[in-house]
Amino acid sequence: MALADFLVSLVTFIAIYGLFGLGLNVKFGFTGLIDFGHVAYFMVGGYVTAVVTMPAQITGYDGLGGYALPALLSAIPGGTVLGWLLGVAIGMLAAAFVSLLVGVPTLRLREDYLAITALGVATILNEVVLSEVWLFNGPFGIRSIHEPAAGLFPLGLGSFTVNLLVFGGLSVLVFAYATYRVANYVRHASGRQRTLAVVVALGFAAWYFVQPLIGASNAVVTLQTNLTFLFDPNAGPNGGLDYDRFFMLLSLAFLAGGYWWMQRTINSPYGRVLRAVRDDEDVPRALGKETFRYKIQALLFGSALAGAAGALYTIHIGFISPEQFGAMITFFAFASVIIGGTANNAGVVLGTAVFWAINSGTQFLNDYFPSEYAVQLSASRLILIGIILIVILYYRPEGILGEQDYDISLPGEEAANANVAGPEVGSSDASTGPEADSSAASTGPEVGSSDATGGPTVDDANGGGVDD
Amino acid sequence: MTDPMLEISDLQKTFGGITALDGIDVTVDPGITGLIGPNGAGKTTLFNCISGYLAPDAGTVAFDGTDITGDRTPEIVREGLVRTFQIPRELADMTVRENLLLAPRGQSGEALTNAWFRGDEFAADERRTRKEALEMAEFFELDHLLEEPASSLSGGQRKLLELARVLLTDPEMVLLDEPLAGVNPTLEAKILDRIHELESQGLTFLFVEHDIELIMEHCDHVVVIHQGRKLTEGPPSEVRSDQRVIDAYLGEEL
Amino acid sequence: MVSTGLLDALAQGLVTGSIIAAGAIGLSLVYSIAEVPNFAHGDMITIGAYLALVVNRPAEISFLPGLPGGAISLLLAAGFALVAAAILGAIYELAIFRQFRDRDADLITMVIVSLGLALILQNIVLFVAGSRNIKYDTATVLDVNWDFYLTGGGLTVQRTQRQAGEIALVGEWGYPWWLLLGVLAAAIAVGYGVYRWRSTDADYRTQHLVSPRVLGVLATAGIVLALGFLARLDPVGTDAIISTRIGTSRKDITVVLVVGIAMFLLNLLLKRTRLGKGMRATADNMDLAEVRGVDVGRIQIVVWVIAGLLAALAGVLAGWNASNLNPNMGFTLLLPVFAAVILGGIRSPYGAAAGALVIGISMDVGVYLLPSNFATYRIAIAFMILILVLMVRPEGLWGDV
Repeated sequence: MALADFLVSLVTFIAIYGLFGLGLNVKFGFTGLIDFGHVAYFMVGGYVTAVVTMPAQITGYDGLGGYALPALLSAIPGGTVLGWLLGVAIGMLAAAFVSLLVGVPTLRLREDYLAITALGVATILNEVVLSEVWLFNGPFGIRSIHEPAAGLFPLGLGSFTVNLLVFGGLSVLVFAYATYRVANYVRHASGRQRTLAVVVALGFAAWYFVQPLIGASNAVVTLQTNLTFLFDPNAGPNGGLDYDRFFMLLSLAFLAGGYWWMQRTINSPYGRVLRAVRDDEDVPRALGKETFRYKIQALLFGSALAGAAGALYTIHIGFISPEQFGAMITFFAFASVIIGGTANNAGVVLGTAVFWAINSGTQFLNDYFPSEYAVQLSASRLILIGIILIVILYYRPEGILGEQDYDISLPGEEAANANVAGPEVGSSDASTGPEADSSAASTGPEVGSSDATGGPTVDDANGGGVDD
Repeated sequence: MTDPMLEISDLQKTFGGITALDGIDVTVDPGITGLIGPNGAGKTTLFNCISGYLAPDAGTVAFDGTDITGDRTPEIVREGLVRTFQIPRELADMTVRENLLLAPRGQSGEALTNAWFRGDEFAADERRTRKEALEMAEFFELDHLLEEPASSLSGGQRKLLELARVLLTDPEMVLLDEPLAGVNPTLEAKILDRIHELESQGLTFLFVEHDIELIMEHCDHVVVIHQGRKLTEGPPSEVRSDQRVIDAYLGEEL
Repeated sequence: MVSTGLLDALAQGLVTGSIIAAGAIGLSLVYSIAEVPNFAHGDMITIGAYLALVVNRPAEISFLPGLPGGAISLLLAAGFALVAAAILGAIYELAIFRQFRDRDADLITMVIVSLGLALILQNIVLFVAGSRNIKYDTATVLDVNWDFYLTGGGLTVQRTQRQAGEIALVGEWGYPWWLLLGVLAAAIAVGYGVYRWRSTDADYRTQHLVSPRVLGVLATAGIVLALGFLARLDPVGTDAIISTRIGTSRKDITVVLVVGIAMFLLNLLLKRTRLGKGMRATADNMDLAEVRGVDVGRIQIVVWVIAGLLAALAGVLAGWNASNLNPNMGFTLLLPVFAAVILGGIRSPYGAAAGALVIGISMDVGVYLLPSNFATYRIAIAFMILILVLMVRPEGLWGDV
């Protein structure tokens, strides 16, 4: 298929798994909970939304539902979409509810026991969904997934030229904006960060624009097709925006929404307490905070985001079955979060992009190898990711972008307490879209970052021995 | 006689064969009370049992008339009873400022729904919190370190942070576990002044220090414990000349 | 008509438990001495199984075309796998875990590092051998059924085997009641006697190579088996009050024996050698051990070598016993292995072994007791036991001290 179609699919995956990773970041990055069962909520959200939005009486389906929510609301203008959104909300609630059941007994366990218990719960839930056909059709899965607003697409605005100009023009704008942001970042960054950004940008350009030209029958057409990626000439009679492209935009919107929601949560006194819980739970307790409540809420919130991601995932794949939700998915999310930057929402998106770029973006290499080596190629990608994970943990445990800066912006204020000497608390406000964190480029001790490097050496003048 | 702030009766605590508290009775009235005793007397264990870190095996603890025996630490803190740690526990990965911002109570923004749906209260509480934190930091001369990660502080600075944080919770009573070790004399004097000032505003302090002179000088009342039991108590002048107290300490040194 | 029952499930559980034990003991050592909650342990088991496969059936390994020579017998292949896994263990320590330990990495970091290793190992297996099911090239072993009939006259035992498509009687004998009770009484007496003999004039300082209780139980079982073999009389009929069948094979017995021997050897190492003492000291307190002259660096290597060795043993035994290898085999064992270790106490390999037996038996007995459509929840049972224990005692059965 054309590389543009592939890019659309890749970006959709990154958006979905990015949202999944953001959910993990709430639990692990900010609150310090090692939830190795995170994929369970991805599964619950996906299944519940699918079943709630599915029409009733589907042949070949022997499970609960469908409850046809979009159909129920179809009388209202925009009702089907509203119905679907409601379905997603229900899926998120279901995921949160399941995590509540899991969390209440297990959150008081020490971290490694929590990890293995969470893994076990996810394994059991997966087994249940697989074995109990009466629940969600067991191993046969669900093939009828409701696609919101599917009827509107492919979307055309008139003639071929108009569509090409509008959607093609938008595509060009997207690339232009991206180039602008990257150039900006490169200008302000230095050292390793800058080299990395340049390498990545050039690598992408080479992969997307240059590589397809090799051996292409018509270089100009290929280039144009890839450039105007939002425009699909095969969508409808006059080309236009097809459903896949729309869905990519929808997923990106969900990602942006999740990102904004997380930033709002983290940049607040609530977020402060979460991070204190991660650091040393006894301290907020000694200051009167009910830390168990915070941990549970983090678990619920993170699982709800995973549930939303799950709902999107099922639409993108087109069918849902228990095999898609193995424990490895959680580990992939952990790898993405850690590589991109733990406790950094932009880092999570970056890490997810890196992960999927390696895992899927290198699919084109398959063309250079005989087909019987497909298994070997996918295995080597994962081996590479495992190695990268270990290397990052060793050389840069805070991830590529490091921990994000925190700032609670109050109405009518600039930065927090401007009359304090020393570097200002960086202003990463609740803006949408992943921003290149320019403060990550600084070499001195970072404000609020997790790598406690500089500062005067800690000399413990604490003379007294341990008292009774 | 005003009502006692803290009443400990017949508290027992044993770990693994060692009886740390052996039926100890202590009453703490409003004011500054010192708690002294040789090493191993049970001072830190007593603090742990009062403040919810350990559950006593027997006995009761009552704070301001309410029974808090075996209650959990966050509940006890919300009742108004806080403590400092002998070895300070700061949040190493967070800045000094953020360590302080955590402490003031009644921050509406600490509730999840308020963090999401911000009303006027949110901004007002946060501004108030920041102001209080800044004032406290300035008093303890930590304001130039506000943006540093707490792990980069010296031992003495950490103790100050610990004390500052605890005072920011606006408590009614504070258990001080050697708060002044490693602090320079000028700052020490300043802190002691502040303690007296707070006491005159109604705070109660229970003060553990190794420097007995300090205790004698600044406390209205002194309690001596030894081997998990109260040995004696009284005004500093009486206690310092009590033969039993001298014996207990001398015995310890040998 | 006689069919398998609870006893058979117990026997199966013993075999499963032994395989889990081989993994759990290694994990327990790594947990307590290297302080790594090793999430790669499952894939170390898989690697072990496949190392043997590579030399046992090189032709089947898609990625290694035409290895020199023909296939090697499974026994030798297993030996090769053990040696190779031991070397790999040392590599894991030197290349990975030592580096992180020297940086004072915290528990969470070690967990994620082990996760990275798991990813690498699992995909190396996929890379080399592909994802389909495969089995060792070795002689098939026939199942033997032992049928027990408890009749009015005593106990009749029949040994049956599938021959030429039919179940044929291969042996039959019996024990009249008086003999039965006599043998049991003798066995218990001997067992108890052994127990008392070993535990008298022992004080708190004595450290038995094998605990008197275990020795007593083994003695009882040994007497039962020995007398049972020697004192076979004529059968006493098959109109039974109750009857049951236990299906075994030489595989099952071999698995249990091999793991038992491995446990004994490890026990010997831990209790009777300087190295073992060093290991135990390091488990208690690494810094203190170092101060007292223990070569902690060498101990760490040894721990990972042993862990790799035992994991490979578990893998080969599992692959042989199930006549099936697949790249996920170790990962599915990860949960029961972790459950066994946490159940038995992460500080004690003996506890881990005991925990493994408990887990193994509950898995197979659980499957037996539950209705048949719950058979797929075998692994889940192991896990449920763990959760139940942790709910009641969040620090584990033995506590994590």
